Amino acid sequence: MSWFVRSAALVAATSIVVYGVATIEERTDPRWLVLLVIVGLLWGISLWPATVRQARTVDRAMIHVTAVIGIGFLLVATQLIRAQALDRERIQSRVVSTGTEVVADPRRQVLAQESQRGRILARDGTVIAETRVGEDGRSRRVYPFGPAAYLAGYYSPALYGAANVELAYDGALSGRTEVRRLREWIDGILNRPTPGYDVVLTIDPELQSQADRLLGGRAGAVVLLDARTGAVLAMASAPAFDPNTLSVGTRATPEELEAARAYWASLQQSNDGRLVLRATQGRYPPGSTFKTVTLAAALESGVANLDKVYRDEGAFTVDSRVIVEQNRPDPNRVSYSLLEGYGYSLNVVFAQLGLELGAGRLTEAAQRFGFGESIPFDLPVAPSVVSVDTGYLANPAGLAETSFGQGELLVTPLQMALVAAAVVNGGEQPVPFLVDRIQTPSGEIVEQHRPRAWRRAMSPETAVQIEQAMRWSVEHGYARGAQIPSAVVGGKTGTAEVGDRPPHAWFIGFAGREEPQYVVAVVVENAGSGTEVALPIGRALLELALGR
Amino acid sequence: MAARVRLLELQLLVLPALLGIVGLLTIYLSRTGSTRWSWSDIWVSLVFMGMVLGTSVWLSLIGFGGDQVLFPLVAMLSGLGLLLSQRLQPVLQQDAGWATLAQRQLVYLILSFGLLWGTITFLRRLDWLRRYKYTAAVLGLALTAVTMLFGVEIQGARLWLDLGVVTVQPGELVKVLLVVFLAAYLDDYRDLIATGYRLGPVTIPPLPYLLPMLVMWGLSVLAVVLQRDLGNALLLFGIFLAMLYMATGRIAYVVAGLLTFAAAVYVALHLFGHVMVRIQVWLNPWSQPLHAGFQPIQADYAFAHGHIFGTGLGFGFPQFVPLVASDYALAALGEELGLLGTTAVLGLYVLLVARGTLIALRARGSFVRLLAAGLTVVLGLQTLIILGGNVRLLPLTGITLPFISAGGSSLLTNFLIIALLLKASERSTEPR
Repeated sequence: MSWFVRSAALVAATSIVVYGVATIEERTDPRWLVLLVIVGLLWGISLWPATVRQARTVDRAMIHVTAVIGIGFLLVATQLIRAQALDRERIQSRVVSTGTEVVADPRRQVLAQESQRGRILARDGTVIAETRVGEDGRSRRVYPFGPAAYLAGYYSPALYGAANVELAYDGALSGRTEVRRLREWIDGILNRPTPGYDVVLTIDPELQSQADRLLGGRAGAVVLLDARTGAVLAMASAPAFDPNTLSVGTRATPEELEAARAYWASLQQSNDGRLVLRATQGRYPPGSTFKTVTLAAALESGVANLDKVYRDEGAFTVDSRVIVEQNRPDPNRVSYSLLEGYGYSLNVVFAQLGLELGAGRLTEAAQRFGFGESIPFDLPVAPSVVSVDTGYLANPAGLAETSFGQGELLVTPLQMALVAAAVVNGGEQPVPFLVDRIQTPSGEIVEQHRPRAWRRAMSPETAVQIEQAMRWSVEHGYARGAQIPSAVVGGKTGTAEVGDRPPHAWFIGFAGREEPQYVVAVVVENAGSGTEVALPIGRALLELALGR
Repeated sequence: MAARVRLLELQLLVLPALLGIVGLLTIYLSRTGSTRWSWSDIWVSLVFMGMVLGTSVWLSLIGFGGDQVLFPLVAMLSGLGLLLSQRLQPVLQQDAGWATLAQRQLVYLILSFGLLWGTITFLRRLDWLRRYKYTAAVLGLALTAVTMLFGVEIQGARLWLDLGVVTVQPGELVKVLLVVFLAAYLDDYRDLIATGYRLGPVTIPPLPYLLPMLVMWGLSVLAVVLQRDLGNALLLFGIFLAMLYMATGRIAYVVAGLLTFAAAVYVALHLFGHVMVRIQVWLNPWSQPLHAGFQPIQADYAFAHGHIFGTGLGFGFPQFVPLVASDYALAALGEELGLLGTTAVLGLYVLLVARGTLIALRARGSFVRLLAAGLTVVLGLQTLIILGGNVRLLPLTGITLPFISAGGSSLLTNFLIIALLLKASERSTEPR
């Protein structure tokens, strides 16, 4: 075969291999195997031994057979290069869980145990999670700061994997990050374990402790955000779990394993969702706090302004469904402006407003606040929804109920904190974040979070008006208890009915010295009225935040 | 014949000797953090090195004039196998063996060396084998039948005969017997088979003469079915095709053979569930991550962990791969010696095959040439099938990696092959 054909075949074979490696992930993808067959044939062409024409047939045949075997070895080498060099990280990070068992690379656990896993720190350096080596030489994962321990999650390679920050930042904590630095690359080549990075959270320990204390073990959640940046200063969730018992390494003693199993079983049996981070994963009917979204829909669409007057006679019938009003400040007064309707949380006013708006505009406004989407966050967030059933809002009674925060609405506390953040942030919602930076054990920053906007929920003009409405609610309405001396405060309470059990108490609000700086969302499950239960928690946290 | 120093061989044997010492010291280093060693541990390596050097010296003393590169290659590979068993022994839970993994491997090696010496001493002329071609065929068939009838099943394949003290794998020897038979038979009827009968313009294949070989082909397919052993069937059939091609030089036989084999595999695929499972697990082990797919998944992790330079002997975790010592020797080497190590091992096998082909080309006598070429194909193809299975180029099969995998039957057979190849090289011109 001519020199040209041989070189062309070699070039073609090389290009096919490069193309295949770049586009096909699996080494046994049938497409890749077909490419390998073609590559083998091309190699055959380019490397076919130029046996002398006079050589005996038998000799030629022997050489041909050897050449075919040789090409087979080249194909084996190609697969090896993929497995050991090119596809390496993809293979190592592949994990599958089948109900009860998890199949993952066991080396990661052993090596993670051997190399020092990074710490999880609060913004001021308070240690939330760290690995301590005991006198017996065994390392243990400990969570010395109780109020944020469950936020860090647990790290239990021997039994239950990991959760929360420990899971979401496992790569960084065990020394593997997306950012490839020269040192890491060399460590990888030489197969040296990289020390884990420290993950620094935005959590303020004092605010976090206070939030946890204020919940006082009652089921519920508190989220406190920096309204401008979206930094999570406190994120409390109760009831929670103690990760210290759950976190057992691969060298745990039988007693430790037994204790972890027993604790895990008790968590499962208690059946109160202790492993669920309610602040991001808990979904509740929002009650009247949702009126903020309905109000935004009205102002944005021009259907109503704050001065528009509605009649409220204590009851309102829609589609044979009677909505009873219990919130009127004066039972003899029957006309209220929309501003008063918001401040006094009048359901009849918002039912009428909702019917004026229609399902389309209400849903659209909620979507602009992020309903129906997973909020981009360092931990997984359950999407909040306007209605579970898409046809629900087509029914006028359903639409009316939704407008004042009942119906089929389900929201996360983080979502409601972002509603408040949009109000004080000129209508724009920041991307909330819990991890401020990733750094080396010596404090050298590897990755720094930069605050950025997530989405525009409403126009700046609408935002200003809603901010006024929330402030009016604190100055004159039912959120009066939230007042803080010499501070700008706004808020909205909510009391979400949940069947026969006591209602969920809600509060969302903001506070600042000259202009709003922090936003808070509080929910306490089955605890009574928002004004009496949730508002004091929100107020205390905002006040403490202002003092810092 | 006068004694003649096999200098090249001795020089080349320095590498396997160093490998044994350096490798063992690394294993100590990883286990204890120091390179201090004790005689009681190191004697296994010393016995092996003594046998290797002794063999070379003995070959010089008897004035053996055969190839000098083949034996160092084999010493390197089997030294690597011994080292691997020494490395794996402390981390593998052994199931009721009569000695530790390394000690057993050493005993197999001693027996293998004995077989090598015996074959070279007592087998005067390879041509002698040609007379026993039908004996070889009958013996091969008998061994296969006995295994099928009385064999014990290990991991779903019925390949072992339980002889009380040890279990042996007769299938290993059958390969050699098949090559002996085919080499003699094809050499006898070479011209007839190559040309066929002419009927006017049409050439009809000489069916009566192909029949014995078609029977062999049928048996290899039968082996897939009854022994549930895809690997050996593929190997037997590959040997058959390669030898038919090498004897006749006619590509048409190869094409026809491959087509019928593909058809047979297709039928087997649809008739027998376990073959389908093998294929599914090959293409996507993640479909059954806890069962059939567990082993290839763990092997992938091991390969990936090795990266380019590997962790170093003793510093990896090959024990996470089930049956690593027999099925996945390359994964253990890949993890601890890295991509460089695995490509080096591939290189050793390529050199072995190339050397075998060279011996065949230089050999005198058409039977010996065909025999040497066939034996080389056995080594090359078997290595290719198991390595292809290890790196997921082919479905995984249970056959062994020559010289490296733990196991006596395989080691003895492969040393027999090497002995025959050395014998075949004896009368050829001395390579420089």
